[in-house]
Amino acid sequence: MTTLTHPTEPAATDTPYVSSGPGLSFAALIRSEWIKLWSVRSTVWSLSLVVVVSLGMAAVMAWATTLQLNNGAGPADLSVLPAADQAAIVLQAATFGVFFGQLIVAVLGVLVISGEYSTGMIKSTLTAVPRRLGALGAKAVVLFACTFAVGVVSTVGSFLVAAPMLAGQGLSVSLFDSAVVLPLLGASLYLGLIAVFALGIGTILRSSAGGIAAALGALLLLPIVLSMIPAQWAMDVSPYLLSNAGTALFSTTATMEPWQGLLVVLGWIVAVVGLAAVLLKKRDA
Amino acid sequence: MIQAQSLTKRYGSKTAVDSVDFSVQPGKVTGFLGPNGAGKSTTMRMIVGLDKPTSGSVIVNGKAYREHGAPLREVGVLLDAKAVHTGRSAYNHLRALAATHRIPSSRVDEVIALTGLESVARKRVGGFSLGMGQRLGIAAALLGDPATLILDEPVNGLDPEGVLWVRRLTRQLAAEGRTVLLSSHLMSEMALTADHLIVLGRGRVIADAPVADIIASANRSTVRVRTPNSSGLANLLAQPDVTVTNLEQDLLEIVGVTAMEIGDQAARAGIVLHELTPVSASLEEAYMSLTQDEVEYRTNGVPSTNDSATPALQEAAR
Repeated sequence: MTTLTHPTEPAATDTPYVSSGPGLSFAALIRSEWIKLWSVRSTVWSLSLVVVVSLGMAAVMAWATTLQLNNGAGPADLSVLPAADQAAIVLQAATFGVFFGQLIVAVLGVLVISGEYSTGMIKSTLTAVPRRLGALGAKAVVLFACTFAVGVVSTVGSFLVAAPMLAGQGLSVSLFDSAVVLPLLGASLYLGLIAVFALGIGTILRSSAGGIAAALGALLLLPIVLSMIPAQWAMDVSPYLLSNAGTALFSTTATMEPWQGLLVVLGWIVAVVGLAAVLLKKRDA
Repeated sequence: MIQAQSLTKRYGSKTAVDSVDFSVQPGKVTGFLGPNGAGKSTTMRMIVGLDKPTSGSVIVNGKAYREHGAPLREVGVLLDAKAVHTGRSAYNHLRALAATHRIPSSRVDEVIALTGLESVARKRVGGFSLGMGQRLGIAAALLGDPATLILDEPVNGLDPEGVLWVRRLTRQLAAEGRTVLLSSHLMSEMALTADHLIVLGRGRVIADAPVADIIASANRSTVRVRTPNSSGLANLLAQPDVTVTNLEQDLLEIVGVTAMEIGDQAARAGIVLHELTPVSASLEEAYMSLTQDEVEYRTNGVPSTNDSATPALQEAAR
């Protein structure tokens, strides 16, 4: 055995190195999260699926409505109905896909953060953004913007699929009627907000399986469970559930006004994302 | 420059890092050593704010890491070669990190070239080998051209050419006046790369000195003795600060007495010696002797050569 000698020379400089250049900014974090969102396959897959499912559902719904109205006889003439009722029939077909779309964007919202925890990417993210909340905020903004935009494409596209099919029944509805375009935008807004809600759930649970189960549970299971409880309080609470309140944003059959539904949905998001922010800040990564 | 003061991390009742104080100077490569569970990674994670200290503090380049306006330009860190989304390409991973600090894409191309990842940069990271993952981690650490680099086991999984590359790179970064903190399990690698060593054991700093001093301090004369009367010689040399280990039936390794003394005493007692060889300590041995009481996860499966040593003498070892 030999003593290991030291072959290296003394350091060439005693002056500490200083690096310079721009630092963190929220706009830069948005840019980073944008790159992240669009550089994994699940984003492209899930958002494409939202559009495809929405257009398909609108076509199926319009076709089913046509069959129902025809009832074996020739085309019905619904042009005698009040404009609001005509709009309601077309909107029902155009927004039918939202019930499926919300599940897809919820899964996407969870994966945007849980995918970072499951792969270890979160350590890189939080090392780059050590104050942490900026990273969550940028994720929420980018995710909301993208799902809202995809929601607009889906719902407006669905309207453009359903309206001509139903025009044969005498339904005459314009996209530029505020009674039409506002519910379509409301449905898109709902999709965007559900994605942010799911992002909060994913941040709290830090697990893809757990996060998806919890998000879908809140959207699907909670209303069903509550409706099975034969008590007055269950009936009182039911409209305030996330998916029930959200329906008010685009459906004429909802029990709440759209602005009330929006406030309830925002309340859910503030609670969940607020808790997510506190935990993200507090916990070790 | 990294300065830790009474830095402590507890997980429940377990203390991972126990009130450590150290400072890592610029212009040098500082090696961070310690057995598994000694608290190296936890300490590194606390430096960059991923884990919060239970008490105490650590500052980098004068401030807590999170207080820096441009953290990636202050500290480049490789904590875990797997801190990457497996579904993203290496290029997009680096681009997303660079975007947080408005680091231009020309710099992304630069670090890709520097780490030799050009051919795989557009492939998804999920298919990367351990070595390529390490190169990507080092590329990410270099992205902000930072004044301080913290690399946890950077040569883990690299081929010999890669090991040499990391050695040259870290030497060069330190020569430019940067602070380089490097952990490795390969002691021989540390001897070639580091100027200074901080040795952790069970969450405490058990040595903090230049590499040469650590080797020298541990170089208590070790002597290998071959004799047909090994138990006789062991009894003869029994003293509190002498360790006698039976390597083979007739082969002893003795620490704490010089070869000359052993020869003299054996001659007086009439014990025949067939071999008497002084052995110098390597950094590896220096490290083992420093940490032998501090190993948290000791391997018990394989019987060690110590098992055959006289129990009483073993007890007297320290």
